[in-house]
Amino acid sequence: MHKILSVIKREYVQIVRTKGFIIGTILGPVLMAAFIVVPILVQFVSVDQQEKIGVVDLSQEVFVELDKKLDQKLKDGDRRYLLEEYEPKGDVEALLEELNRKVLAKELTAYIFIPENIAEGGEAEYVAEHVSDFDKRGNFNQALSSIIIERRLKGEGLDPQKIGQYMRPVGLTTKKVTKRGVERDTGGTFVISWFLVLVLYMTVIFYGQIILRGVIEEKSSRMVEIVLSSMRPFQLMAGKILGIAAVGFTQYAIWALFGIAAARYSKNIITKFFPAGAAFDMPTIPAYIFVYFIIFFILGYFLYGTIYAGIGSMVNNEKEAQQLVMPVTMFLVVPLLIMAFVLRSPDSSVSVVLSLIPFFAPILMLLRICVLLPPFPQIAASIVFLVLTTILMIWISAKIYRVGILMYGKRPSFGEIVKWMRYR
Amino acid sequence: MNAIKIENISKRFGDFYAVKHLSFTIPEGTIYSLLGPNGAGKTTTIRMVMNIIIPDEGSIRILDQKMDEDMKKRIGYLPEDRGLYPKMKVGELLLFLAELKALQRQEARKRIDNWLERFELAEWKFKKVEELSRGMQQKIQFIATVIHEPDLIILDEPFGGLDPVNTKLLKDIMLEMKQKGRTIIFSTHRMEQVEMISDKICLINKAERVLEGDLNQIKQQYGKNTVILDYVGEASFIKGLPEVEKIDDYGKFMEIKMKEQSDPQDLLNKLVDKIRINKFEVREPTLNAIFIEKVGDKNAQDTVSH
Repeated sequence: MHKILSVIKREYVQIVRTKGFIIGTILGPVLMAAFIVVPILVQFVSVDQQEKIGVVDLSQEVFVELDKKLDQKLKDGDRRYLLEEYEPKGDVEALLEELNRKVLAKELTAYIFIPENIAEGGEAEYVAEHVSDFDKRGNFNQALSSIIIERRLKGEGLDPQKIGQYMRPVGLTTKKVTKRGVERDTGGTFVISWFLVLVLYMTVIFYGQIILRGVIEEKSSRMVEIVLSSMRPFQLMAGKILGIAAVGFTQYAIWALFGIAAARYSKNIITKFFPAGAAFDMPTIPAYIFVYFIIFFILGYFLYGTIYAGIGSMVNNEKEAQQLVMPVTMFLVVPLLIMAFVLRSPDSSVSVVLSLIPFFAPILMLLRICVLLPPFPQIAASIVFLVLTTILMIWISAKIYRVGILMYGKRPSFGEIVKWMRYR
Repeated sequence: MNAIKIENISKRFGDFYAVKHLSFTIPEGTIYSLLGPNGAGKTTTIRMVMNIIIPDEGSIRILDQKMDEDMKKRIGYLPEDRGLYPKMKVGELLLFLAELKALQRQEARKRIDNWLERFELAEWKFKKVEELSRGMQQKIQFIATVIHEPDLIILDEPFGGLDPVNTKLLKDIMLEMKQKGRTIIFSTHRMEQVEMISDKICLINKAERVLEGDLNQIKQQYGKNTVILDYVGEASFIKGLPEVEKIDDYGKFMEIKMKEQSDPQDLLNKLVDKIRINKFEVREPTLNAIFIEKVGDKNAQDTVSH
């Protein structure tokens, strides 16, 4: 046992000390935070700039109200949109030409063209250099619509006092029903399931590759026989897989700390800079999801890790390995492809069957647990299948590893590998 | 007590016999060499001794016990296919390997420092293995083999890649270990080393034993039928002389095998007028000549070139 411990220690120290690990561990959460923070910051920065918007109002009666409606303020209290009216003195085409030029010269951010028959169903036009700003377009569209609709309603003889009341928008709250009752949901379930499954997928592949590379390095550097003069091949393989697992847990632990900190303080930070963010509820994740996440990560890691170790022992270099690894990686990719389906109908019989298949279970069963907690017998069955398959794979890989690790030269054929397994 | 007792072991890979009905015994405290051309089965034999490959038949007893995992602590093994973790620091790597042999860290550290000192590698202790030359790495591998002071030391091609200075150092250490009562078994192609330090040899060819026993006795069996000639001049005529059975000519140096019953004195008389003679020695054949005779010239060509 002390030999396995020595191998575990060596693997752990050697990897944890590398720049790759340190950078990856720190960069992971930073990137993750960046994905959340940067869009907020971008919005925050762009908001803080006054924009000149040209308006050509052929109907002659919208501009004043539009100017009144578009009163969004900047942080310092100035108006966000500065509207300028352009009168078409006869030649509309010439005016539009000129405005196009002004937009390109950045004298105007955009201009709005309102046709004469706007109230009778004519379409307004929004012309700008960049038209991907949904927020801005939404503002204009809403303002124009409400002006025109109010006008139409007034035309029908409705009380102007009551029109505002009639036009109040309708809210739509999303709720999620679970065994524990009805909960408010702001889309968090989807985000969290997607996120957890992705983390599991990426770490299993990532650490699997580290095992693969480690075994190949041990073999190609001709270190392995020296080590085997002190221990059994199985001890070396087990030590390597466990050592790298320890690295994985270290990384998860660090990320979890980041995550807890983020969950605790991010809301304060976001709210401080971006008051509207207060409306977004951080979704609360039930603890059992984390428990299952860890169980499925461990099982998935050992299942795929042992397969990767077996493959590493068969080949001479990484290029040869990649050909053999491809089909194994496919087993991890397939569940990602059918994720959308499982998300939509997590308790359909197809989803149930797929999530019981051991090679898919780590991802699909976890996904089902996140979305809609399946009956416990199903979870238990998938875990039992997974454990049995993992034990079988350890047995097969150990037999291949024992012989392969000392074989150099041509990559073995399938028949040869079967023969290896029969060796005493 | 015997350090190794091998009885009738065989190993087949498919239809190919890597080792066939091999037996030999190594008494404790001897230096034993395993000889043979490339692919003869030396490494397979050693791997079977190390329990890395399991023989199909026959038995191996080590230090009067059946080989098991616990026994590995008492053995130092330098494999033929050897290397080191390239990214590890020399000191750390040696400590790791010593730990696998159940050595206490404190003691291991002390011994590592002593050995590095002896091999003049002390300043490399904190360098990564990949920065070392091949010869230096060989020395590190040797340290790893003997760091736990094993009773039985198994060296597969220990001299490959070493310069004359380090070859001598290694040879001295091997003799030192023998004096301490340890047993050394090593395989090699290089007959000079074998002649200098081996007590017993076993010559394997095509998976089978062709010669085994005490080196001096083997040589005596051949008798003093060989002339070593150190000369200057044109000497190709010697091959055709009636006293001569076979020659091995190196240009300035020739090993001549005499026909039975012929007198070396007659040969000398025929040479003195034709070439300049620096040395004329009558002795038993060199191991090299025995090797070539036993294995056959064709098979041994790549061996001689070493």
